[in-house]
Amino acid sequence: MKSILELMSEKRIYFDGGTGTVLQEMGLPAGQSPELWNITNPDKIIALHNRYFDAGANIIKTNTFGLNRDKFENYDELIRAGIKCAKAAAEGRSEAYVAYDMGPTGQLLEPLGQMKFEEAISVFSDNIKVAAECGVDLILIETMNDSYETKAAVIAAKENCDLPIFVTNVYDESGKLMTGANPAAMIAMLEGLGVNALGMNCSLGPDVMLGIIGEFEKYSSIPVIVNPNAGLPEVRNGETVYNIGADEFSDYMVKIARGGGIILGGCCGTTPEFIRKTIEKTKSLPYRLPDKKEYTCVSSYTHAVFVDSDPILIGERINPTGKPKLKDALRSGNLNYILNEGIQQTDAGADILDVNVGLPEIDETEMMLRCVSSLQAVTDLPLQIDSTNFDTLEAAMRIYNGKPLVNSVNGTEESMRRVFPLVQKYGGSVIALTIDERGIPDIAQGRADIAKRIIQRAGEYGISKKDIIVDPLALTISSNPESAVVTLDSIKLIRALGVKTSLGISNISFGLPQRDIITSTFYSNALQCGLNCAIMNPFSVAMMNVYYAYRALNMLDSGCVDYIKYASSDKKSTSKQTEVKSEETLHSSIVRGLKDSAVIQTERLLENSEPLDIINNHIIPALNEIGMAFEQKKAYLPQLLMSADAATAAFDSVKKKIPSEQSDKSKAIVLATVKGDIHDIGKNIVKVLMESYGFTVYDLGRDVPPEMIRDCAIEHNCKLVGLSALMTTTVPSMAETIKLLNETDRNIKIMVGGAVLNQEYADMIGADFYGADAMDSVRYAESFYGNN
Amino acid sequence: MKSSDIFMITASAEDIEINKNELAQRLNVERGYTNEIIEACKKSLMKIINYKCAYIRTHVDMREENICEFGFMKTESKNLYRNMSGCDEAFVMALTAGIAVDRELARLKIISQAEHFITDAIASAAIDSFCDYASGLMKNGLDCAVRFSPGYGDLSLTYQKPLLERLNAQSLLGISLSPSYLMTPMKSITAIMGIKNEKHT
Repeated sequence: MKSILELMSEKRIYFDGGTGTVLQEMGLPAGQSPELWNITNPDKIIALHNRYFDAGANIIKTNTFGLNRDKFENYDELIRAGIKCAKAAAEGRSEAYVAYDMGPTGQLLEPLGQMKFEEAISVFSDNIKVAAECGVDLILIETMNDSYETKAAVIAAKENCDLPIFVTNVYDESGKLMTGANPAAMIAMLEGLGVNALGMNCSLGPDVMLGIIGEFEKYSSIPVIVNPNAGLPEVRNGETVYNIGADEFSDYMVKIARGGGIILGGCCGTTPEFIRKTIEKTKSLPYRLPDKKEYTCVSSYTHAVFVDSDPILIGERINPTGKPKLKDALRSGNLNYILNEGIQQTDAGADILDVNVGLPEIDETEMMLRCVSSLQAVTDLPLQIDSTNFDTLEAAMRIYNGKPLVNSVNGTEESMRRVFPLVQKYGGSVIALTIDERGIPDIAQGRADIAKRIIQRAGEYGISKKDIIVDPLALTISSNPESAVVTLDSIKLIRALGVKTSLGISNISFGLPQRDIITSTFYSNALQCGLNCAIMNPFSVAMMNVYYAYRALNMLDSGCVDYIKYASSDKKSTSKQTEVKSEETLHSSIVRGLKDSAVIQTERLLENSEPLDIINNHIIPALNEIGMAFEQKKAYLPQLLMSADAATAAFDSVKKKIPSEQSDKSKAIVLATVKGDIHDIGKNIVKVLMESYGFTVYDLGRDVPPEMIRDCAIEHNCKLVGLSALMTTTVPSMAETIKLLNETDRNIKIMVGGAVLNQEYADMIGADFYGADAMDSVRYAESFYGNN
Repeated sequence: MKSSDIFMITASAEDIEINKNELAQRLNVERGYTNEIIEACKKSLMKIINYKCAYIRTHVDMREENICEFGFMKTESKNLYRNMSGCDEAFVMALTAGIAVDRELARLKIISQAEHFITDAIASAAIDSFCDYASGLMKNGLDCAVRFSPGYGDLSLTYQKPLLERLNAQSLLGISLSPSYLMTPMKSITAIMGIKNEKHT
């Protein structure tokens, strides 16, 4: 018999339809897992498969959708029994294939959910091992509504078998997965991972899928699977819309086939009748595999970014080179600083964010993993994984949710030998630097030659040149006078090779004063030469001016809409001062919770005042005023928090003027929500108030074990600890923490707070202070350090 | 379980009027109080909120003391049993405000505690208000018991699991449950609403 891939290259093939619906007709009680029947009623499962084969389906899905080690202790036995049933039905038939069917774990992965990515891979791997051992024709990963879990499942399949991998996701009426990915993003990621066919299943019916099939047709280079539901009864605006029958379903499937659907079948609610009618109506339609698409793109968990004529901005701010504050943040593991840089660059208009956390004194791989994972919770931009360490690259490419941009490979044999297999396995577009064992060629042709060699070597790994983005390297003109000219010539030659280009723009002006002038002019020149991507500072007004002007001048900004929006916003102006009302002071800005205004007022004051005077004479009194108003119930909690935000912003501005060795580490506190408790809003409120009062806060987060709190207090020699708990069930955990801290060092003072606590409870568990609200906590902390 | 007796209700942000008392309580302010930032947070949240509800109408067997047998799950709870007294059917529902809200909250947590707190409060009030709206559509004149959720009284959170599975909540709503019974998206609700039998013919 031909392999499924051979058959697929010749003719249209069909999946079966729903399992649950048919089994319920056969007597499966609602709510019972159909997979249990693999053992208790195998004859019925075989009958189900036979009905679909008889209806004309080529591929049947094993009755194993919900099986995994977390849900069923005997998952392996159930998988084996399910595959046995499917193989019994396929036995003796021609063009009949068995797909091992694997559904989601039922849990959402980190960072938004709780399941770890590697744990998901491990759960899926256990399934795949069993399936591969039993012998199936392909792996079908289906009903996935999260791109990240999809990736975990595909990696598990790739690492545990050599079978063809088909993947279908659940898109809703907005044309996206529940967790946000659109078809272009999924296609980018899945093609990168090397699956054999991809598409959609489940969802709300073929009508919804017809609406997005065009996206698949446009972007996918591999066959598209369409397995819709028979629709669902739905109440919309009080009106009930009912199921789609077999006739209507198959009519939709004709349109879907014409629109680019290659492999057709059904999901929930469909029966053999649906499949039979679909086959009847579509089997004689013209059949053609999708064209190979030649666009260059990377993706995040929501969208794909296409590298084409419109220039791409790659934010360079998350890179410690020349950035002492980022270095500090990396050394102290202050992820918030890094995430904030990510969010600010996103807001400033970057398309992709570079992430480089290489510092000799930290564990680069571990930090890279934390950054990539956390950044992907707060920004939806694709990331450029930037490291010279191959292990770091691999670890980050593996856990990245999407198709990453990889920075970088170069023309040395070692680099190509190490990086290309990673791209082959995990997918990605890769920045290729025109440097090899002999260094960077002085002439443009030399750099183009290296590019040519890299492209050719990539091809040997099956990596298409659309996934190579060449960076011909801009060196500073302060020491290499000819650098700009050579680099620009290189761009032209490299473009002629049919690949996209990128440049780390800022290097060009290194060592010169007023760098923005040189950098932005060079950027403009490079764009004229056809540069696609720039690794740059999106906070640089000069650079952004060039970017918006170039797009407007080159018909990339229809109606100059983006330019006009940019030009009329305050982003392009270096000073926001005109906007601030003259009667506003730093004090009033903080009391009223005006963040921007507070920063501007602070900067004004800094021209003539000492940093510490601003804190003591302006910020603290303002905070006291709003704090008192809150205590007297004259102000509400949101106002208190807004003031704290404004004060923190002011405080940050002041801190920039205080040399770091002078910064006040003497007022510090360790904060944590105790083990077992995940409610941290109260703790966060205390944190922000503490910070606005100038405390150094070691925030350990939520669900923190007692030992971790103790270790932190010891490490920073901090004698003040704040604990929060919101659930009655976690008060014992708080008591345990207090006990441990008391045993460690009787000088450590512990304050507690949270909705379930009161003075009595606090006394009972041995706390030194009970804070009824955030202000209370600040007052205590102030008095603690006042008296010590 | 994939089955086709599940009904869906969706609504746009504009369809749902956020309950003012609920909002005031969650924001810790007097009813009707607002300011610029609260309004701005509301506006951004309304752009991303994605209300979805899935529900079934099912028979309930209450013959055994403190036991409600729903066919797909059997609950043991004095409080729910009391709440359901006089009912022989129930609506079983799951609702969510969507994962984009979780992402927005994660983002705000980094940049502004005030906006984080405010947006969290609005989102909680919003999903509650959507729950009222959806329950209203389900009732459609029927006499129903007060909505009851796992976690209320002695009704264990563990019942969220069979309930979500029965409603195919992962595929239809994108709701997943952690081993410690926390739902993601964070702003999600599961509930049971008994239908009184005297008015039901």
